[in-house]
Amino acid sequence: MPRRQLVFLIGIVLAALAATVMTAVWENEPLLGLDLQGGVSVRLTATEPATEEMLDQAVGIIRNRVDALGVAEPEVSRTADGVMVSLPGVDDQQRALDLVGTTAELRFRPVCDVFPVMTANQPGQGTAAPAPASCSQVLGGGVLPPTGRAGVTPPEHDHADQFVILGGRGGTQRYLLGPSVLTGDALSDANADLIDFQWQVAITLKSGADGIDAFNRIAALCFVGTRECPIMAGFSNGRVAIVLDGQVLTAPQIRASQFERDRILISGSFDKEEAHDVALGLRYGALPVELVAENTQVVSATIGEDSLDAGVVAGIIGLFLVALFIVGYYRLLGLVALASLAISGSLLWAIIAHLGTQSGLALTLAGVTGIIVAIGVSVDSNVIYFEHLKEDIRDGRTARSSVDRAFPVAFSTIVKADMASLIGAGLLWWLTVGAVRGFALYLGLATILDLVATYFFMGPMVRLLAQTRWFARHPGRFGLPAAGAVGAVVS
Amino acid sequence: MSAFRRLYNGETTLDYPRWWRRAVTISLVAMLVSVASFGVRGLNLGIDFEGGTSYEVRAPGASVADARAVMAAFDAADARIQTLGDDLFRIRSEVADPARAGEIRDALAADLGTVETFEQVGPTWGSEVTDKAARALLVFFVVVALYITVRLEWKMAVGALAAVAHDIVVSVGFYSVLQLEITPATVIAFLTIMGYSLYDTIVVYDKVRDVTGRLGATERYSYTELMNLALNRVTMRSINTSITSALPVVSLLLIGSVIMGAGALQEFGVALLLGIVVGSYSSLFLASSLVTLLKEREERWQAIAGKLRTRGHTEGPTRLIGREEAAQPDTRSPDRIDGSRGVARRRPVQTTHLGGAVPPRPRKKRR
Repeated sequence: MPRRQLVFLIGIVLAALAATVMTAVWENEPLLGLDLQGGVSVRLTATEPATEEMLDQAVGIIRNRVDALGVAEPEVSRTADGVMVSLPGVDDQQRALDLVGTTAELRFRPVCDVFPVMTANQPGQGTAAPAPASCSQVLGGGVLPPTGRAGVTPPEHDHADQFVILGGRGGTQRYLLGPSVLTGDALSDANADLIDFQWQVAITLKSGADGIDAFNRIAALCFVGTRECPIMAGFSNGRVAIVLDGQVLTAPQIRASQFERDRILISGSFDKEEAHDVALGLRYGALPVELVAENTQVVSATIGEDSLDAGVVAGIIGLFLVALFIVGYYRLLGLVALASLAISGSLLWAIIAHLGTQSGLALTLAGVTGIIVAIGVSVDSNVIYFEHLKEDIRDGRTARSSVDRAFPVAFSTIVKADMASLIGAGLLWWLTVGAVRGFALYLGLATILDLVATYFFMGPMVRLLAQTRWFARHPGRFGLPAAGAVGAVVS
Repeated sequence: MSAFRRLYNGETTLDYPRWWRRAVTISLVAMLVSVASFGVRGLNLGIDFEGGTSYEVRAPGASVADARAVMAAFDAADARIQTLGDDLFRIRSEVADPARAGEIRDALAADLGTVETFEQVGPTWGSEVTDKAARALLVFFVVVALYITVRLEWKMAVGALAAVAHDIVVSVGFYSVLQLEITPATVIAFLTIMGYSLYDTIVVYDKVRDVTGRLGATERYSYTELMNLALNRVTMRSINTSITSALPVVSLLLIGSVIMGAGALQEFGVALLLGIVVGSYSSLFLASSLVTLLKEREERWQAIAGKLRTRGHTEGPTRLIGREEAAQPDTRSPDRIDGSRGVARRRPVQTTHLGGAVPPRPRKKRR
C-alpha cells in the first residue's frame, strides 16, 4: 500500500467531513426552485400599449436581469398587457422588486473626476445640494453629492439630473459624474466585435434629437474639454460614463467631436468577456417598453406540497433499494460503493447549498432529476471496477494482483465515459439559458464529484482492503469469485 | 448452473449477433412509428411552451383540490394551481381557445369564488430557450463525435450517435404516441436520457476495444466473435447499472405517483425509466451491431474472416470464445497498445496452459 493512497483516502474523507460541517455551520441550504418551494411573483404592466414582440423582448431582458448566472430559474412570461415574473426562494417582496429592477435605466453621464475605491465602510458624507451647474463648481466648491456605504451615492439619491458618485465594474474606481445627458432610449443596438484584433463594442444610436443629436452635443463638449466635461490628467479628451443600475459599465474617452449614429466604437482594453458584458448591459439596459410593478405576491410551489413529500419519500426508498441491491450483490465491496456515494453526495450537497445561498442557484425538479440519474452513474463507476476485478480473478489472477491491475483499466473507462457527460454539461452550460442550464450544472458537478470519489476514495479503499489477509481468504465476502476459478469452469 | 449463477459468475454466453437483426428491425419500426406519430399527432406541449390562460380567483376557505375539481370538469385537471397569499388562487391552464377559457372562467366564478383576473399568458419557456438548446445539441453532437473519434475511433462515433439518436427519437415518439404532456422537466429528462445513453455506449465500446485489441492480435477470431465476447463480458455491468439507475426512478413512479398520487412526478419518471431501459438496450444491440457492420468491412477483419471461412467456421451460431483463450495476456509489443491498426508485426507468443496447473503469473504493470 503506497503511502500516497492512504493520504488520498484520509484527505477525501476529511474533505467530505469538513464540507458537511461547514454547510451546517454557515447554515447553507439549497435554494429550492419555484416548482418545489414557491417564491414571490411580480406582475408588471406596460404604461403604454405594447406589441407582443416588445413584451417578448422585455421578457428576455428581464430574464437576463434577474438571472445573471442563468441558474436561478425564474419564471418570466408575457401577459396580456405586461410581464409576469416569479422568483424562487425570495420571500421579501421588496427584494423581488429590486431584483426585477423595473427602474433600471441606462444613462450616459460625463465624468468629472475619478477617485480610488474606499476600502473601509466610511460613513456617508456630502449633502443633497441644489444641482450645481458644472463639474468645476462641484469640485471647486467641495460640494460632493450625497454618498452612503463605500462612498457611493445610494440608489435613492441616484437621480438623472443630479451629480453622483458611482462605482465601476470590477470595483477599482469611483466616478464623480455629471447629470445624465442621454438615456438608454437613445440606443438602438450594441454589439461586441473583434476589430483590428481588439475587442470593441459597437453602438448604434437612434437618429433625431433624442438620439445622435444629444450624443453629439455632449461629444463636442467632451472632445475639447469644458466645465461640464473636463479633461482629466493623463487623458487627451473628456470622458462619458455609461451607467446601468447605478454602476459604471464603461467610461470611454470621446475621441471625436461628431459621430455618425451607426459608427460609434468603444475601444479599450476589453477582453472578450468584458466586451460582451458591456454590450449586453447596453442592449438590455433599455427595456423596449416601460413597465411598472402592479403588485407582488407570495406564491406557493407549482407542483404542490403533496408531490414534494411523495418525491422525498420515494427518493429515500429508492436509495434504500439501491443500497440493498449493491450490498446484496457485492457484499463488502458494496459497502465501499455506498461509502463512495456518501462522499460524493456530501460534497455535492455542500456545493449546492453554498451556491444556493451565495449565487441564487435554484434546485428544481429538473435538478433533482439530474441528481437521481447521477446516483446511478456514480454507482456505475463502482460496478465497472468490481466487474473488472471479478473478470480478472476469473481469468486466473489472484485477488490482490487484480486489485492493482484492474483499477487503472476501469478508471480509464470511467474517465472516457464521464468525459462525454462533462462535454455535454459544459456545452449546455455555455450555450443555453433557463432550465437546461441548471440541469447542465448539476450534471457537470455530479460527474466531476463522481470522478473525485472514485479516484480518491473507492480505488484506495479497495486497495487498502486488499492488503488484509481476510481479503485473500474470504473473497466471497467481497462478492468476488475464488482465485483461479478458471480451471473449475473449463473442466 | 442456473441462469442466475451463470449471470453472477459472468459466464453468460448469449449469442448477441443472432439478436442483432431482430433488434435492428424492432428499433427501425419503433423509430418509424415515432416519426410518423410526431408528424401526424405532434407533441402535447404544456403551458410552459405554448402559453395558455391564467385565472386569479379569490376563494376564501377553498383548497387546491377544490380548484382542481373545477378544472377537471373541463378536462384540464393538469392545470397548474398555486396559492397567492391566503385566499387567492392562481390557476394556469393550457386552454387557449377563448370560448373555452370563458366557460372555465364562468365555472370558476360559480363554483370557486370571485375571478379577479383572467388573461392569456405567454410561454415561460420561450422559443429563445428552445432555439439555444437545439443549437447547443447540434454542437454537442459534433464535439462528442470528435471526442469519440479521438479516444476510440470514428466508426464507434457513428455507432454511438446512431444509438443516442435512436433513444431520443423513441422516447419522444413514446410521448407523442401516448400524448403525454411535455413539460420542462420532461425536456430535461430527454437530455438526461441522451447523456445516459452516450455514457453507457462508451463504457461498452471501451470493453470492445480492450477485447479486440488484445485478442484481435491473435488473428484467430472474427470481429463479430470478439464483439460478442466483449458484450458478454459487459452484460453484467449493464444489467447492474440499469438496475441501480432505475431503482430510484421506479420508486418515484410507484410510490410517488401510484401510492401517494402525485401526478407531477409521473411525467418525467416515465421518460427517465424509458430512457434507462432503451439506453442500455441500444448500447448492447444497436451501437454494437453498427460498429461490427462497419468493422467487418475493413481489410484486416475481412482477411481474418476469409481465413476462418476456409477453416470451416461459417454459418450458424456465433462461435463462442472460451475463458481459457479469452484470458490470454496481451501479446503485442507495447507500442501497439493504443493504435490497434494493421496486422500484428510480431506473432503472438503462445502461452501454454498446463492442464490443471497454476496459470502463469500475469506480467506486472510498470508505472
